[in-house]
Amino acid sequence: MGSRALLMLTNFNFKATVSSFGSASNPFFLIKNNLRIRNFSTKTRSSLQPPDLPGLAETARISLAPNEVEEFAPKIGQVIDWFGQLQAVDLDNVEPAIRADTEGDNLREDVPQTFENKEALIASVPSYEEPYIKVPKVLNKE
Amino acid sequence: MLSTIQPPRYLSRFPLRGRTKSRSFHILSSAQPVTKTCFAADQSQILSIRDSLLNRHLSAVELTHSYLDRLKQTEPHINCFLHVSDPDKVLKQAQDIDDKIKRNEEVGPLAGVLVAIKDNICTADMPSTGGSYILEGYRPPFDATAVKRLKDLGAIVVGKTNLDEFGMGSTTEASAFKVTANPWDLSRVPGGSSGGSAASVSARQCVVSLGSDTGGSVRQPASFCGVVGLKPTYGRVSRFGLMAYASSLDVIGCFGSSVADTGILLHAISGHDSLDATSSKREVPDFTSQFTYASSLKSRPLEGLRVGLIRETVDAGVDSGVKSAIEGAAAHLEQLGCVLKEVSLPSFSLGLPAYYILASSESSSNLSRYDGVRYGNQASSDELNGLYEESRAKGFGSEVKMRILMGTYALSAGYYDAYYKRAQQVRTIIRKSFKAALDENDILISPAAPSAAYKIGEKKNDPLAMYAGDIMTVNVNLAGLPALVLPCGFVEGGAVGLPVGLQIIGAAFDEEKLVKVGHIFEQTLEGYNFVPPLITDVGGASA
Repeated sequence: MGSRALLMLTNFNFKATVSSFGSASNPFFLIKNNLRIRNFSTKTRSSLQPPDLPGLAETARISLAPNEVEEFAPKIGQVIDWFGQLQAVDLDNVEPAIRADTEGDNLREDVPQTFENKEALIASVPSYEEPYIKVPKVLNKE
Repeated sequence: MLSTIQPPRYLSRFPLRGRTKSRSFHILSSAQPVTKTCFAADQSQILSIRDSLLNRHLSAVELTHSYLDRLKQTEPHINCFLHVSDPDKVLKQAQDIDDKIKRNEEVGPLAGVLVAIKDNICTADMPSTGGSYILEGYRPPFDATAVKRLKDLGAIVVGKTNLDEFGMGSTTEASAFKVTANPWDLSRVPGGSSGGSAASVSARQCVVSLGSDTGGSVRQPASFCGVVGLKPTYGRVSRFGLMAYASSLDVIGCFGSSVADTGILLHAISGHDSLDATSSKREVPDFTSQFTYASSLKSRPLEGLRVGLIRETVDAGVDSGVKSAIEGAAAHLEQLGCVLKEVSLPSFSLGLPAYYILASSESSSNLSRYDGVRYGNQASSDELNGLYEESRAKGFGSEVKMRILMGTYALSAGYYDAYYKRAQQVRTIIRKSFKAALDENDILISPAAPSAAYKIGEKKNDPLAMYAGDIMTVNVNLAGLPALVLPCGFVEGGAVGLPVGLQIIGAAFDEEKLVKVGHIFEQTLEGYNFVPPLITDVGGASA
């Protein structure tokens, strides 16, 4: 079956191999009915740069320990590769949908309303020095 | 055979203990008329409670004691709650209700009903952690709109339930604090991310509960725990106060031990909210007007209802036990008069990667607010970026970190078109294909998950294997449609078997039809007892 071949050629590292196709642990059992693959190239793998974890971590403002980088990199790589299958789908002339759009415009009057429970808001702040929320200094990086 | 007398099912829904022995629920036979609706109180715990309270057969305090006792007995085994309300406060609320009733004053339609709330839904008087260390001990300054509406109607909030951190997960194993166990088999997961809410209703620790559903987080645990789960249309229920995971997909959903209770709960929390710009202004119909008295049902009450079974959901890869349960459910629907056919949704399989791209991307943005500055746990650092980086590193769990990183990647300059935009285009395709299928059919059916509950730890280290379990549910979120899951059968496993849920999907804002069909299905399904043995074992309660 075409799709089985595709799976083998794309080298996904998933535990359930093609031989156990009938089991519920195989994540790709439903790909076989995809009718919209434009060409039967084996490139469902993303052709973009693989994720640069330390760079992403800096953008996301999360510091990662070296063992975390080691642990996450293969898993994230695997998932991003899996995302890559959307590259092969013919999406010409399809409008992107921001949300399900089950309803139309729904804005309220642009009138400010006072929030009464200010004490609770302030009580949640970890480091407060009236009237400032206190944070450490900002270091300007080049 | 439709029978009006269903004592075994009735009792199995509400095993009582100790104190209420003398006020037996046997009094509430189906012969007794109930307020304004025309169906028996035994089809709904909420209505039977209302009946008992107003007719003074039972006091709210006695009822509350009964539930709190059961909670105390079962909680060490299943660990549903991250926070349990102070029993004195809860009993005081119950006492207030009793006093009002004594004085013949009006009480709300949910008076005395004990509700559990998933911990990513804000409650002003209780900690709301989202299952994360980063919000450990956090007390929101407001109630979520859904919570406020329940309280206004007299419901008593019994506590906050466990979840996968910020809704990211399918088992509660990603909670920072504890893992909830499935009441049907304590070595198995309850499902997720609303695992605590589902297990709590399953174990009868509360009457009903609220959860949230972004990719199946109400429906899959409902299936795993043998309870009813209802995901409303996107926009039906206000998201104000729900900690955002993926704003274009999140909804607040309901759990109950019967379709009627779940429908009543949904009705209570639905409706426009000016605090949520995505909330719909549509009228909310009274779902209870759709319920019919079991004995007055015609022999084929769903005559002519067009039901589409989604072929891609019963293909290879789905547990054979689950397939038989769904086939059994389909046969039952046919007996009720439905016209059943198979429908194919060829783009179905694309929904899963599209969902994870959209959800990770949106979550990377939504979770940027957790920076240790205005609330939550703060790490120490001598400069600002370090403060952010350390607070988030210490506060977030691995699954959350990975999803934020994946989302950051998918949204990066140069990659947006390849991933996020394409996923949005897939969303359009899926919406259209569901709409076409629902033009030809009144409802669509499928399993809620490819298997029944699996063992704790089984999928923990394999993200793709865990994501694969969401295949039945994510497309419904992408299309924004409503769906109901109700128990329809069992597969092998555990002491007495593991429950399997049937998913019923409807057109946008058509919750009324889902509840009507689900209610009739449930009332006419015979030979199954969906009360977990844990309840009958604990304290020897009769069931």
